[in-house]
Amino acid sequence: MTGTRSGALAEALKLGAFFRRDLLVRLSYRGAIVSDWINLFAQALVFSFVSKLVHPIHINGGGRTSYIAFVTVGIAVAGFMAVGLARLVSAIQQEQSLGTLESLMVTPTTASVVLLGSVIYDLIYVPFRTVIFLIIVSIVFNVSFAASGYIPALLILAAFIPFVWGLGSIASAGVLTFRRGSGAIGFLAFALTFTSGAYFPLALFPSWVAPLASINPIGIAITGMRAQLIGGAGWHDALVTIAKLVPLSGITLLLGLYAFRLAMRRERRLGTLGLY
Amino acid sequence: MTGSSSGGANPLSAVLDARDVTRSFGDKQVLSGVDLRVGAGRISALLGPNGAGKTTFLRILTGLLLAEGGHVSVAGIDVGQDPMAARRHIGFFPSADRTFYNRLSGLENLAFFGRMYGIRRQEALARARKRLVDVGLSDAVDQRVGLYSHGMQKRLSMARALLMDPPVLVIDEATDGLDPEGARRVQDLTRSIAADGTAVIWTTQRLDEIRGFADAVTVLDQGRTTFQGTVEDLMLKSSARGYLLRLRTADATLDDDASRRAAAALGDRGKLARVGTDREHFRLDLEEHAVLGEVLADLSATGVVVLDCAQQRSELEESFLRLTTART
Repeated sequence: MTGTRSGALAEALKLGAFFRRDLLVRLSYRGAIVSDWINLFAQALVFSFVSKLVHPIHINGGGRTSYIAFVTVGIAVAGFMAVGLARLVSAIQQEQSLGTLESLMVTPTTASVVLLGSVIYDLIYVPFRTVIFLIIVSIVFNVSFAASGYIPALLILAAFIPFVWGLGSIASAGVLTFRRGSGAIGFLAFALTFTSGAYFPLALFPSWVAPLASINPIGIAITGMRAQLIGGAGWHDALVTIAKLVPLSGITLLLGLYAFRLAMRRERRLGTLGLY
Repeated sequence: MTGSSSGGANPLSAVLDARDVTRSFGDKQVLSGVDLRVGAGRISALLGPNGAGKTTFLRILTGLLLAEGGHVSVAGIDVGQDPMAARRHIGFFPSADRTFYNRLSGLENLAFFGRMYGIRRQEALARARKRLVDVGLSDAVDQRVGLYSHGMQKRLSMARALLMDPPVLVIDEATDGLDPEGARRVQDLTRSIAADGTAVIWTTQRLDEIRGFADAVTVLDQGRTTFQGTVEDLMLKSSARGYLLRLRTADATLDDDASRRAAAALGDRGKLARVGTDREHFRLDLEEHAVLGEVLADLSATGVVVLDCAQQRSELEESFLRLTTART
């Protein structure tokens, strides 16, 4: 038993092993990677045609920007949310159905690291995918983003990421406990995304949606990133957006980790961890 | 409980010490005061019919499940209090088939699980390679686990359980579904690991594989310990021994008169019963005090010719069935 490292650092270093594992698994499904990118571009292509029907006057910014620029940011953030959440929910479920969850849980690895490790690849890949998507779409569809907005937009995205982790952890705890529920989680994600103004300006929705969007972390993140990438709003606006997101993300993440620990403890008490 | 031996392992030096372990699921009591102590270098077999509580007990030993009562320690560490520390000292061989990542190679799988013990990748790879050779998978190091046969996956499970040289090895149905050669290989490996000082808990339903293999036996039935002792002690618990006989008279199959004469010659030493409608085949159940040779000689003296005599169950199997309530 020599050569083992202990403590928080050792636990954190295990995340590298999870990343490598999932990278190798994903690379073994090359077709899935290609189809994911094709779907993403097909979605952007559809919205590029829709943008020809939408007069810029309807977009926030009073005609200074196109619908394709508006919706590209929405697609990027909503896609990040959807993929991140889906992976968080399915990662533990997949470990359960593969039969590998118990194998992991008999190693000296904390439940939090197992959860985080199971999604670490996506936590890194999905933001990367989002940024690459924005860059490619801006080239292909001739969408011009404000260069000064890149860094603030990335920081807003970073402040938003823990919200997705937290929501995913809560959902994962629910699935671990009830074995089902991914449909309900998908609907919740859709409702949150749709009413955030990701695809359509909030002005088109009933009046009560706008106040909800102002406290919806997805809405806050999308509005903030649009302001940076399309409007070039500057650092002050970015910091205001980040200040709104950080507490929401922090609370959601803590709740998520707590819910997951409770769910794991329940499974150990009942002895049903390996049952799917 | 009909025995108290721990199979020669000194309880004071037990690497695994489980005392009075209880556990229920709802109203069903699954474990009722189960004890097990295994010393370094000893192989302790855990027997029991389906539903006896073996797997529940193993899950408590590995910290996957919490006991409601009692105490389990591994290498002096309380599993209930500090499961993370205890797991560093346990290698677990699960009975389930699918416990690996099928898209990864055997080597990558083992390296991944090695890193879950906090070791660096290079060390994990070195350990993984060594264990893959030990279990005879050196030709399949880079092959995807999804392409492994059932027997290869079992051997990979063994390699994973041994990866960190644990002082306690918990093995759940290792030979289930293996061909005789594969089963022998796993047993040989276990024997050599035990010889190096590892305490082994070996769960099985293949009774005859523990003869000459396990140092101690614990029989569980409906969550209770019904026997603890050595394999030899367990065989002594055998009473009725069953044999399948082919009997004839000199010129014909046994008629009712000849059958009655044979039964009378047997007396209180056992029972003789025809098997189905067959006129030649009989089942002979001998009591503990009966001597098979004498019985066969007495049957011959009545004019019955014994064409064949085959033992139907081993003493181990007889003992096991006697100690457990399941008769299926």
